[in-house]
Amino acid sequence: MSQMMAVPVSYYVGLSAVIFFIGVAGVLVRRNPLIMLMSIELMFNAANLLFMAFARAWLHNAGHIFAFLVITVAAAEAAIGLAIVVTVFRSAKHVDVDDVALMKG
Amino acid sequence: MTHHVMGVDGSYPLLLVLWLLPLAGAILAWAFGPQLKTAAGWICSALVGISFICAVAMWGPGTQSVSGALGAHQALFSWLPGFDFGLLMDPLSLLWTLIITGVGFLIHLYSIGYMDGDRAFARFFAYMNFFVFAMLTLVLSDNFVGLLVGWGLVGLASYFLIGFWFFKPSAVAAARKAFVINVAGDVGIMFAIFMIVASVHSTAFGDAFAFAGSYNSGWLLAICVCLFIGAAAKSAQIPLHTWLPDAMEGPTPVSALIHAATMVTAGVYLVARCAPLWSQNHDAQMLVGTIGALTAIAGAILGCAQWDIKRILAYSTMSQIGYMIMGVGVGAYEGGVAHFFTHAFFKAQLFLGSGLIIHALNNEQDVRRMGGLMKKMPFAFIAMLTGVIAISGIPFLGAGFFSKDLVIQGALEHGHPYLYAVGIITAGITAYYMCRLLFVTFFGSYRGDVDPSELGIRHPELAGTPAHGADQAEAEHEGSGHGQAHHAPAWIMNVPVAILIVPTVLIGWLMFGGDNSPWAHFFAQQFPHPQLSPAPIGEGVTGLITFGAVLVGIAVAWWRYATASAQSRAVERLRGESIRMPGILTHAYYFDLALDLLFVRTSQLFGTIFGRFFDPQIIDGAVRESAFSAQWLGTLVRSFQTGLLRAYALLLVVGVAAFMIYYAVIAGGVHP
Amino acid sequence: MIELLLILVPVVIGAAMQFGRDDENEKWSRWTGALVAAVMFFLALASRGTEWSFRWLSRPFTSAFHFGPTAISYWIVLLLAVCTFSAILAVNQPRRRRFIGQLLMLEGTMMGLFLARDLLAFALFWDAMLLPVFFTLLGWGGHSGTAWRYFLYNFAGGLTLLLATAAFGMLYGSTDVIGRTDVHLVGAWVPWIFIGFSFAFLVKTPVWPLHTWMPITYSDTPSPMVAVVSAVQSKAGLYGFIAIAMATMPDYVKTYAPWLIVLGIVSLLYGAFIALTQNDAKRIVAYSSLSHLGLIVVAIASFNPIALQGAVLYIIAHGLFSAAIFLTLGYVESREETRSLVRLGGLGASNPRLAGALCIAALAALGLPGLAGFVGEIVILTGVFQAGLVWPAILALIPIVLASAYMLRLFQGIMNGPEVPDLPVRADLNWIEGLALAPLVIALVVLGVNPHALTTFNPSAYNATTVSQGASK
Repeated sequence: MSQMMAVPVSYYVGLSAVIFFIGVAGVLVRRNPLIMLMSIELMFNAANLLFMAFARAWLHNAGHIFAFLVITVAAAEAAIGLAIVVTVFRSAKHVDVDDVALMKG
Repeated sequence: MTHHVMGVDGSYPLLLVLWLLPLAGAILAWAFGPQLKTAAGWICSALVGISFICAVAMWGPGTQSVSGALGAHQALFSWLPGFDFGLLMDPLSLLWTLIITGVGFLIHLYSIGYMDGDRAFARFFAYMNFFVFAMLTLVLSDNFVGLLVGWGLVGLASYFLIGFWFFKPSAVAAARKAFVINVAGDVGIMFAIFMIVASVHSTAFGDAFAFAGSYNSGWLLAICVCLFIGAAAKSAQIPLHTWLPDAMEGPTPVSALIHAATMVTAGVYLVARCAPLWSQNHDAQMLVGTIGALTAIAGAILGCAQWDIKRILAYSTMSQIGYMIMGVGVGAYEGGVAHFFTHAFFKAQLFLGSGLIIHALNNEQDVRRMGGLMKKMPFAFIAMLTGVIAISGIPFLGAGFFSKDLVIQGALEHGHPYLYAVGIITAGITAYYMCRLLFVTFFGSYRGDVDPSELGIRHPELAGTPAHGADQAEAEHEGSGHGQAHHAPAWIMNVPVAILIVPTVLIGWLMFGGDNSPWAHFFAQQFPHPQLSPAPIGEGVTGLITFGAVLVGIAVAWWRYATASAQSRAVERLRGESIRMPGILTHAYYFDLALDLLFVRTSQLFGTIFGRFFDPQIIDGAVRESAFSAQWLGTLVRSFQTGLLRAYALLLVVGVAAFMIYYAVIAGGVHP
Repeated sequence: MIELLLILVPVVIGAAMQFGRDDENEKWSRWTGALVAAVMFFLALASRGTEWSFRWLSRPFTSAFHFGPTAISYWIVLLLAVCTFSAILAVNQPRRRRFIGQLLMLEGTMMGLFLARDLLAFALFWDAMLLPVFFTLLGWGGHSGTAWRYFLYNFAGGLTLLLATAAFGMLYGSTDVIGRTDVHLVGAWVPWIFIGFSFAFLVKTPVWPLHTWMPITYSDTPSPMVAVVSAVQSKAGLYGFIAIAMATMPDYVKTYAPWLIVLGIVSLLYGAFIALTQNDAKRIVAYSSLSHLGLIVVAIASFNPIALQGAVLYIIAHGLFSAAIFLTLGYVESREETRSLVRLGGLGASNPRLAGALCIAALAALGLPGLAGFVGEIVILTGVFQAGLVWPAILALIPIVLASAYMLRLFQGIMNGPEVPDLPVRADLNWIEGLALAPLVIALVVLGVNPHALTTFNPSAYNATTVSQGASK
């Protein structure tokens, strides 16, 4: 089995970190909620990548199960997020997150 | 610890009956007053009468003496260990019981006439019976807490009866004053109880007295002083006497029973009951004797300055109780108690006699507006005359002579020559003001139709004439039945007075004969009898000296009010005397003012400061300040809540980054 | 199971009474309420010595729904049942059905509090019993600020109580400790736990300087509700001191006892002085409550068995007379539409029965011998003096004199004096109003003559360690 680990785990970690921070940057700098949702999706996938990589490395199934869980959560989150976006769009006629500040204290 | 019971333990149903009958009467008259109407008076009087018969029947058990235990003891119930209740009937409480029920019965009878037509007739008798019950509780208790219960309840009865005409603001205020001052006295007794329980773990008289010799003297003095605070408040001793003159707002029979014959002598009972404590402490004896003497003379002097017939009698009561307290204080217990005994008769007699006058004159109480009543009311005159003879202490003609001499001679025998002298001087003053009362009221001509200002009556309300609500009181008192202004006392009021004349004149002979008198025999085992060195002045000589002082008093009164020339110019003389009366006497030495400033005003000041300033400003201010600081904190935190989603996200990232840096760099990695 | 019935039946019936449209002519609601309260009384009477337990937490500490009266709370529960019965009969507020429902819910939640043998249940019911009063204040009281003040003060206490309970559970491993005599908590955290409990108890009692919620709450709350609140709810803190603080951490209570005594004495004097000068009848009674309950705090802090017995006596006595006074003042207020002593006066002539009731209640409050208040006072102070606390005993005597002054001022100001012409003349007490007061007055007299039944409770059996140390001092 070990020869199948041609690519070391640290590479996966590095890639995952890069994808994750791309996602973080996307959330932080973009004002379009759709893009932000996509960025969140990127962060989820970075996590998924790590799960799969370690599952492979340690030959343990838990990683796969978590990955499925994350995908499910991501789907649900995307659904809710899009629903919110649609609702906001209906009332505000545009979807700039900085304008949605009803929770301001 | 062994339990020391005074009296022979046993079951004495008569004792329970005589104790509880008045309570039954009170409840009956209170609950069914409207149905019973005048029958309430007869029922209540009859119950007190039966109580008296039971008390007489208890003479045997009450005076029995079996192996050191004197009297009869009936156990009742227990609150908790150390707080056991029972009834004790020994010669001392037997004497009080006989007076309470006997004189009480006569005054009840009298009240049927006096209160006739009052709207609250039944309520009056309910209170009177309740008072008798409470007073019996006081004197029959075998322990201090039971005594205190009776003590408080007589105070309550007194409160109800002083404020009986509760639509009169003056009566309401007098009732409250009497009650509050008496509570101050109760508190003194309470503190004495604390000290007694702390030393003997029991409230029973027997336990407290059995160890009287083992207390250290400071402790014992403190107990005695605290007990005496209670006694002083109840018995109107200086400086707690100010409620007694005001208490005359109550109906006259109340003044006779409660504020002359029985309740106000409770202090004398207490000191006599605690004779084993007082006998052990000379300082306590000195203190009580001195206060008694002081009260005797101070009250007598004030008696000379009053115009309200009931107030004169009130100050004389205060003064006579001073004698009693002096007697029991110095250790002459038989003497002090003897004076209580005779005083109960002659003072009841005086009050009932004055009640006859007040009743006949339509609630007129100012002696300046009386005069010449001897011909109009010969019976009242005889009643008052016997009373005056008795209280003045004219030898052998009245009961007061014998008992007063016992007190005065007792003070000398127990080594208090100054108190002896005060006693003799007071006897002279007493003779003066009582004869003054008699002469001004009965001699000369009637002055009721003279204009009050000509008699020097400037402030009717200060002179004690009913002013506030008097019309309403009148209406209440007369009811709807009586149309005429004057109505002769019914026979029901004369009979008790006539009966009282007998003991007022004769009862003192019981005390005649020194150590062989029936009186001395009755109390032979009750009180401690220390060995005394013979007094420098014999009993006979003391009697003569006292009589001399009394003669002087009578002569001065005669010269001022009863000579032909004095009578002919009575109106001018009374006017002159009223105007020239020194303020210190008309204001009773300003005690009221002093107590008012010291306690009432001060307490109200505290209350105002706390309630109007401290509570809303300081405490609530502090609460408000903390509420404001919470608000400020909220404002601070709120500034982070920009509502910008990306700002929150940035904070999140920064936070996570901070944690990561902390663990990676500063804490040196995570070590699971 | 009796315990469950005692708690759930009033709460469920009370909650059910909140539904439906308002109907002013619902006579049945009073009789239903009174019947429930009466049944609760007999159930409470039968609950002596019974217990019911259901474990619901085993981590991080064990905790159970454990209910059953302790030696002290048995009497408080009886008091609660009697007071609720009287209060329900005395209700004459608008929306009567809902008001009675609130009273029943108050009864049920307080039953839960006093029957609780588990600290966590105690803490939960502590907060629960605030709600009926809070809603009553919002719905029937004068000013919503009062409701919030009441709630915030007491809820703050509830919070520290809950925190202290959690800490207690973590430290001891179980919160199932009320009524046990073998629990003895030690550790560095215990002072904080004690302070947490104490804060809650002192606010609830209340004790100076945490009392400022109380006068306005008592004067704004409608009389039937405030009768129960002042009679029973105010005893929750005192009961907590005896059953929780003293029983499980006596050493710490003893350490802080001087502070408690000082607070108690200050409350005693402070309340009495203020009561002397107030003109609102209910505020007079409120401040007198501050004064009277301060005495119980002193009694508890004195660690003397006699004083503790007196404290239990006085807890019951104060409950009886304060309920009676508040109910009577409620009758006065509903008749004359004022409770200002400046306006009132002379009612006694036309309302002799009302005057008699107020008189007995006021006399019990001022400690007249022969009524229950006196027994408590003298037993407490005897014990306090025996414990060597001479000055507190002396200072505690002053308010007794003041009490006679302000209580007579209250009584005479309303009932005596000439009749005031512009006050409406209304009928005297009717039989239902009399029936409401009867149990309270009878109990005051019976306990005043012979309180033996109450003193069979033996504090040294309650917690041997607590009291034997105190007595030997």
